[in-house]
Amino acid sequence: MKTKLVATAAILLMLGAGVLAHRLDEYLQAIILSVEKDHVQASMRLIPGVAVASNVLASIDTNGDGIISEAEQRAYAERVLRDLSITVDGKSASPTLVSQKFPAIEEIKAGLGEIQIEFTVELAHGGPERRIVLENHHRNEISVYLMNCLVPRDPDIRIVAQNRNENQSFYQLGYAQAGDSSLPGFWNAWSSFRRRTGGGGFASIFRLGMRHIAEGTDHLLFLLALLLPAPLLALGSRWAGFAGARQSLLKILKVVTAFTIGHSITLALAALGLVRVPSRPIEVLIALSILVSAVHALRPLFPGREALIAAFFGLIHGLAFAATLGELGLGRWERVAGILAFNLGIETMQLIVVAAIMPPLVLISRTRANPFLRIGGALFAGFASLGWFAERLLGIHTSADAAVDSVAHHGVWIAGGLFLLSVVCWLNSRNLPRFWMNSKQRGFLLAAAHRGPRTE
Amino acid sequence: MNVLSRKTARGVGALVLICLSVTAARAQTATSRIVSAANNFLSTLDAKQRQSVLFAFDDEKQRATWSNLPTSFVPRGGIPLKDMNPAQRSAAMTLVSSALSRKGFEKVRQIMEGDEVLKATDNGQPPRGNNGNQPPGGGPPNGGNRPPFGGPPSGAMFGKDLYYISILGKPSEKEPWMLQFGGHHLALNITIAGERGILTPTLTGAQPALFTSNGKTIRPLGPESDTALALLNALDDNQKKQAILSYKLADLVLGPGQDGKTIQPEGLKASAMNGRQRAMLLDVISQWADIIHESAAAARMAELKADVNETWFAWSGPTTAAPGKNISAYYRIQGPHLVIEYAPQTLGGDPSMHVHTMYRDPTNDYGRGPVAK
Repeated sequence: MKTKLVATAAILLMLGAGVLAHRLDEYLQAIILSVEKDHVQASMRLIPGVAVASNVLASIDTNGDGIISEAEQRAYAERVLRDLSITVDGKSASPTLVSQKFPAIEEIKAGLGEIQIEFTVELAHGGPERRIVLENHHRNEISVYLMNCLVPRDPDIRIVAQNRNENQSFYQLGYAQAGDSSLPGFWNAWSSFRRRTGGGGFASIFRLGMRHIAEGTDHLLFLLALLLPAPLLALGSRWAGFAGARQSLLKILKVVTAFTIGHSITLALAALGLVRVPSRPIEVLIALSILVSAVHALRPLFPGREALIAAFFGLIHGLAFAATLGELGLGRWERVAGILAFNLGIETMQLIVVAAIMPPLVLISRTRANPFLRIGGALFAGFASLGWFAERLLGIHTSADAAVDSVAHHGVWIAGGLFLLSVVCWLNSRNLPRFWMNSKQRGFLLAAAHRGPRTE
Repeated sequence: MNVLSRKTARGVGALVLICLSVTAARAQTATSRIVSAANNFLSTLDAKQRQSVLFAFDDEKQRATWSNLPTSFVPRGGIPLKDMNPAQRSAAMTLVSSALSRKGFEKVRQIMEGDEVLKATDNGQPPRGNNGNQPPGGGPPNGGNRPPFGGPPSGAMFGKDLYYISILGKPSEKEPWMLQFGGHHLALNITIAGERGILTPTLTGAQPALFTSNGKTIRPLGPESDTALALLNALDDNQKKQAILSYKLADLVLGPGQDGKTIQPEGLKASAMNGRQRAMLLDVISQWADIIHESAAAARMAELKADVNETWFAWSGPTTAAPGKNISAYYRIQGPHLVIEYAPQTLGGDPSMHVHTMYRDPTNDYGRGPVAK
């Protein structure tokens, strides 16, 4: 007891004097990870400072005989590993002890001993983006930590992020793994174009798809023109009254789905290089598709077969999408991932637009204002398509692009305005008094209406 | 006219020849000067001493026998200055200085001087020439100058006598060989391979990092601290955000025993610096690269300059320093052929007064790169 006090006093004096050149009152634990394809190799160094050496030593030389036996070495190394918590891709993983090397007990007592522990962590097959989290709970109260990883030797493994808490007892390693032949080519493609696009491959192509449909107004115009008469019933060569809400929604859904199927097929075929069509005729055919649906909105050309038409022209629009994707210069397999991302982007934007336009369309269809919207929209689409025709077929410059763009540019306002307008029309068309009469008054009114024909 | 121009041409030709031969002679002198200094040193030793100094060039164990720790704890190979007579000692120091630049040798001398100050403080005597710039705490005597818990029996832990010299391989102008010189807070590993001189891995350190000697304030690793702080201050807020790490580093990551490892670089990449900042980064690097003799340093700096856009700068800890003192922050510079670490130590209470630094080329530790070629 007394000697311990003297020793502690000596340490404190020396600390004050700043004389000792080695670690004093901390237990340094340094881990360096090396990520391989199917496992992580880790080397750990543990250096107890002189002031904590006897404390640490007590848990190594557990029988206190002044000798660190083989069994004690192994037991301590395993205890250290038990104090690590490791997860791989969110799943708990356990380290396997490979080797341990202990210094002489005198060196540890002098605060100079370096314990070396090597261990591995097996890695199951995972996705292209992986995450290893390592937390070191060993002797937190006296320890300082260093956590690092080596630059991977395998060129297919790339460290993406390292995160640590302030004292490095928590370490999170994010890395990308490509080129694993046991994984389908799709994953390789994905990570390969992630590399190409600086990390955000899927997201960036997804956004490209959304932008393409939002800015490539001809595709949207075709779809919207086709949807204009969707809530209506065709009566001979004329559009008659409202077909019913359920019927309308079903029809809209059918048209949008058919368009999606159509353009997905040709987008995939063309992006994979299986179909090659020059872009000029496609652009002309797209203009034609808009004209056709605009005319159809005026006078039913193919009532009940809108979905078929949507699918057919969808095939043509898909070829145009493929041209945009082709500009990215992706490899064949990368394109498969690209097509998916791009198509999802297109679909998302398409649904946003349809969701914004559908309610006013259905509401207005129930009112007498319907022909104005339908005919107005059809004329707008018709003139725009004629402008594009002139431009794409004859090379005459028109203001079709500019006009449609300026409308599309104010798309949000127009959609909002349309919605308000539709609500107003709809309210107007209803039996307005209903809203401010009580039930008795309403009953009276209804009775009067019922009596109406009997003019006495 | 014709005669005149011919004369002029001849004169110019002669001048060029002289210049070339002088340059050639100087380029040769670096290695040949070191070789003759080495042979001279070896000739002053007796057979037994020579045996202790010489190792095989590929002696991996001796190569890696270096440390930041006092020699009493980690025995070095070779023989210490204290076991030499004045003539041998002077020949040894001449050999070390022949392999280093003037600036580099001065740094080595200061590190050794600092250890002498530490020794004086450790003995409880007023450090020689120290006018009050003692390490914090004032240095009360610690009794018998013995490390606690039974350290090595020798009372001498510090001081400029305790630096060891060793030679691996046979000093040669053509074949590769190595000179090691080191002790507490110093490990020079110098590989001479023909005209090339390689200083990696090398460790420098200082405690106290600031002291006075003969009335002069000395900071052996002052420029390492000052140039790095200047670079940090030259970064804009966005660059600083990238350069400054969110976690603490208590020690060197790639210290003794960690040869040939390349950790994932972190911090701010120099490709995101402007020209002035990159020049400042190279200035920090040169504090280590220029320790070796001038022609080897010039070749090394050219290599590091070519790498500069692939070089990273990371900082952890306080972003200011007390005037005239070292920083108390850790920093790391890492490139394809370079790792520099500057790691202040909490031991002694004031991290600005105690630092370990490491200088490595993970692709060429101990000159393995060119030797392998």
